[in-house]
Amino acid sequence: MKIRLWVSWFCVMIVASASLLVAAVAEDPPATEAQRAYEIKATVLCPVCDGQNVLESNAPVAAAIRAQVDELVEQGRSDEEIRAWMARQYGADVNAIPPRTGIASLVWMVPVFVAVVSIGALAFAFVRWRAGRELEVSDEDLRIVRSLRGKN
Amino acid sequence: MTAFLGTVGVGLGLVGAIGGAATLVMALSLRRSEHHRRVFWWVGTMTAGCVIAVLAMEVGLLTDNFSMQYVAANSTRATPWLYKVATLWGALEGSLLLWALVLSGYVAAVSISFRRRIEDRLVAWALLTMLAVCVFFFGLLAAPADPFGTLLVAPLDGEGLNPLLRNHPLMAIHPVMLYLGYVGFTVPFGFAVAALVTGRLGEGWLVTTRVWTLIAWGSLTVGILLGAWWSYEVLGWGGYWAWDPVENASLLPWLTGTAFLHSVIVQERRGMLRVWNLSLLLATFALTIFGTFLTRSGVIDSVHEFSASSLGPLLLGLFATIVILSVALVGWRGDQLRSPGSIDSPVSREGAFLANNLLFTLVAFIILLGTVFPLIVEAINNDQLAVGRPYFDRMLLPLGIALLLVMGVAPLLTWRSTNGHLLGTRALGPAALGALTMAAAVWLGAEGLGPVLGIGLGGFVIGSAVRHLALTARRQGWRAATGRAGGGMVAHIGVSLLAFGFIASTSFSEEGEFQLRPGEGGSVAGHQIRFVELTDEMDGPNRVVRAQIEVEGRGVYAPAITQYPTFGRPIATPSVATSLVDDVYLSLVAIPEENSDVVVVRVLVEPLVGWIWVGGFVIAAGTVLAIVPERRKRHSELEDALA
Repeated sequence: MKIRLWVSWFCVMIVASASLLVAAVAEDPPATEAQRAYEIKATVLCPVCDGQNVLESNAPVAAAIRAQVDELVEQGRSDEEIRAWMARQYGADVNAIPPRTGIASLVWMVPVFVAVVSIGALAFAFVRWRAGRELEVSDEDLRIVRSLRGKN
Repeated sequence: MTAFLGTVGVGLGLVGAIGGAATLVMALSLRRSEHHRRVFWWVGTMTAGCVIAVLAMEVGLLTDNFSMQYVAANSTRATPWLYKVATLWGALEGSLLLWALVLSGYVAAVSISFRRRIEDRLVAWALLTMLAVCVFFFGLLAAPADPFGTLLVAPLDGEGLNPLLRNHPLMAIHPVMLYLGYVGFTVPFGFAVAALVTGRLGEGWLVTTRVWTLIAWGSLTVGILLGAWWSYEVLGWGGYWAWDPVENASLLPWLTGTAFLHSVIVQERRGMLRVWNLSLLLATFALTIFGTFLTRSGVIDSVHEFSASSLGPLLLGLFATIVILSVALVGWRGDQLRSPGSIDSPVSREGAFLANNLLFTLVAFIILLGTVFPLIVEAINNDQLAVGRPYFDRMLLPLGIALLLVMGVAPLLTWRSTNGHLLGTRALGPAALGALTMAAAVWLGAEGLGPVLGIGLGGFVIGSAVRHLALTARRQGWRAATGRAGGGMVAHIGVSLLAFGFIASTSFSEEGEFQLRPGEGGSVAGHQIRFVELTDEMDGPNRVVRAQIEVEGRGVYAPAITQYPTFGRPIATPSVATSLVDDVYLSLVAIPEENSDVVVVRVLVEPLVGWIWVGGFVIAAGTVLAIVPERRKRHSELEDALA
């Protein structure tokens, strides 16, 4: 019985890891210039349309920015250079990805900190629970139990 | 006359709310519980007043009464009647009126359903809390956001709504559902406050409010998804979720509400987590008010900002009051809230619920932080920055994967603790289904570690939910799908379907942009499209350009683009060739020049988008199933014992 369980799990794991391996290998980084330009456009916000990126917006300025990104990619500028150029031209808030430096980096770091602290707190709670605590019975609990017992 | 009637209605509403609250305050402080009954009259007055006000507004809208300021500013003669009705919630004052209507409706429903327990101090305090919220909203309608202002000279025609709000019938449903959810959380909030004030912190009030919480949660879920669907059908960019501040504001109470629905099971079963559950409910309500503040005060730029106003400080004041009150009450009752018992092992049903709560609150925290972060930075050093979709995608991906994993494992675990061998036996079937789903996805061309893992976990979740349902069905037949556990499992299946649609459409969509003359065509992801002809017509004052485009195997679709004289840039109306496999989304990019028959069309092929809406429907069905058979004997006895 136990052996059969192990064998079954082994098969499941083989299928799962093979699928994941194939999936991971099949995904390749943006190779062509057009793909790179596309990825950049998806992270530059249209300055006049409240949160849409320049790919999605059909405002004239979004079309202009799309053309500029194509041109800068063609000139061989790096992603970072293009983003910096856009920020100089249209303001830092066209960059949909908050910077990783200065005060803005907090938006990346604080969640990680909070996650670590709360997982730690939960682990601590389990340790304390495991140490065992006396069961406290309040008067109200007793009243409920009595009235329920009275019925049956 | 109509406007006057509306003002009278709002006045009655305010008087009813104040009168009801005052009655309860008197009766509670004098300990005259026989006087509680009088609150019915006040609630009746308030609800009737609100219904009169809403009817007055609808009559004004439908009869083109442009002497009413709201009608003149938001409606036109040419607006079809459905949109005239929906104009009630198209702008700020009207949407507050809808809020008041939904709130009065909930208060009236609560009074009716608790009519036999009205002398109970817990119920009285809950009603008092809800009525206090009513006083606030009717107060807004009475002065700073009066919907019934009149004009001395009525214009011949009104200005009309933002065109985006009047080209899809979902506009008539989505806001109503959203408000049913948003406002519905006032009920459990009222009971939570009542439990804290009266010190009756046992599980009785939770059992009492379960149905109300489920109704609010289910409506909010459906409301959010209808909003996503509306955005997909109308906005023309082919997406349904943009991490826009207003979307985030609706998602925040949903997340804490979802966390509550799960962790409350631990409390009902084991009597634990009392402080935590109360806090989640209080936070959920506070977040609905905070969301309203964000979206109605104009502090944040958003595509949803149809109704920015100066109500900001008032809403912020209400939010602060709620937070301070909640913290004070929880602090005051801290001793009584300490719950007995302990959780023995992290590998247990309780442990899974805790993990669920940790993940949901983390997701809520990240979304809240990302939404308000630009404001914080601007306040500190005047820097302008944006926190956009890439941030949320990147931060939430691991949490989403973890949530799916917990969702699949939790139904396999037993309470208290689960040993490895049992888990191994139970998880085998679901895990096999997950692995096969991954293999199938890869075989169909899916790539990328994250997406394929997510799809596999979706299969795992379905396997574990179906296993649970099938085992229960042996004993209970079709009733296995009812009740909290059964309905919950159905909802889990819905979430998985939704996850498949979300993952596939965001990760595997393809697009192309074509400049076409009649007869020319193009191809995206194996779909041939051909431009048939162009029609260029005037619809009243609006220029409507429509392109007939044939999608091979699907038929002819007609995306349009409209130039409204009163609205700067043209509005595209996309057309979607839907199927369960993939959607071909057609959208015109720019309005063609006069006398030209060349169109620029954007074609997006998005796999499995339809599954999102199907999944939403399944979640809604699961919620209904979870509500239906609540009258179990065990519960009513417990209720009696606690009463």
